Amino acid sequence: MTTGSPKPSQITVGDELPPFDLNVTSTVIVAGAIASRDFMPAHHDPAFARAQGAPDMFMNILTTNGYVARYVSDWAGPEAMLKSIRIRLGAPAVPGKPLRFSGRVAAKSEEGNECVLELAVRAANDLGDHAAGTVTLSLPLG
Amino acid sequence: MADEAADPLRARLEKYVGRSMGPPSLAPDPVNVPMIRHWVDALDDRNPVYLDEELAATTRFGGIVAPPAMLQTWGMPRPKIEGIAERGGAPNEMRFDNPISALDEAGYVGTLATNSELEFVRYLRPGDHLHLSSELESISNRKTTALGKGYFVTWGTTYRTTAGEVVGRQLFRILKFDPSTIDLTRLKAPR
Repeated sequence: MTTGSPKPSQITVGDELPPFDLNVTSTVIVAGAIASRDFMPAHHDPAFARAQGAPDMFMNILTTNGYVARYVSDWAGPEAMLKSIRIRLGAPAVPGKPLRFSGRVAAKSEEGNECVLELAVRAANDLGDHAAGTVTLSLPLG
Repeated sequence: MADEAADPLRARLEKYVGRSMGPPSLAPDPVNVPMIRHWVDALDDRNPVYLDEELAATTRFGGIVAPPAMLQTWGMPRPKIEGIAERGGAPNEMRFDNPISALDEAGYVGTLATNSELEFVRYLRPGDHLHLSSELESISNRKTTALGKGYFVTWGTTYRTTAGEVVGRQLFRILKFDPSTIDLTRLKAPR
C-alpha cells in the first residue's frame, strides 16, 4: 500500500483507481457490524432481514463507509486525509454477492500546501449499485 | 403523492423538523486503540497510520489516528440486546420524544439507510472523547417504495470533542417503512 501510492504530480483527472473485489460473506457482514457497534438484527439475522423485505442479512452503512474509505486510502496511501465520504445506498450487500469497488479522479485542485482530489466511487454487485458517491481527500504537496 | 392534509401522521411529525433528535450524548468510550484494532481486523484495513505508531509518527499525522469512517462508530450507544428485534433494531428504548419512535409506534418499524454524508474536520486520536448532537432536517411526505409505504427522515449530527472542538459531521437519511405494506411484486433494490 505504501509503495506505489501516487504522487500528486502524477495524478490527473480521469485516472481510474484499480478495482477491488470484496468477497461478501456472512462473516464479513457480521464482523463489520460488530466492529462498528451496530447490533441491528438485519445485519446478522437473515430471518429478521427477510421479514423486513431484504433478500438476506445485509451490510450496514458504517461498514460500507469503512470499505469505501479503505478502498481509496489503499490507493492514495497513508498520507491521504479524507475530508468527506458522500454516498447513496442502493442494492443491499448480501452474502454470496461480491462487491466490485471502482473509482475515478473526478477533480483535482490545490489548496495551500495540499492537493485536493474528488473521487467518484462506486461499489456494485449483480443487483446494481450498492453505494455510489464522492470521496474528497487531500495529499500533502511536496 | 399523499398530501399532508390526508395524512394526519405526517402532520403530527412536522413538530420535530428543525428540532433536536434527542438529548446530546457522550460517546460510551473515548477513541481508543482496542476498538481501532477491532475495526482494522474486521475490515482488513492495513493502512499503517491506524496501528503502527512508528510509521504513523513519520506521516503528517504525527502518530496513530482512528480510521475516519469510524466517526459514527464512536457515538453508537450501548445496546440493550434483549428485545432488540422487537424494537425493530433500535439499540435501546428511546424515552426522548422523537420522530423515529413516533414512526415505530405508528407501525413504520422498518429502517433502511439511503444516504450518508460524512465530513471529517480532522482525524481523531486516541483519547479524543466525542460529544454528539443531532438535529432533524426533514421528513418527507409518505411515499410508496419497493419496501412498502414509508417516510424518508433526514438528520444531521455534529461531533465535538468534550473541549467543544467540532471534529466531524454527518448527514444521514433513512427510510422508515411499514413492512406489512411491502408489495412483493415490486420488490427489488430499494432506492
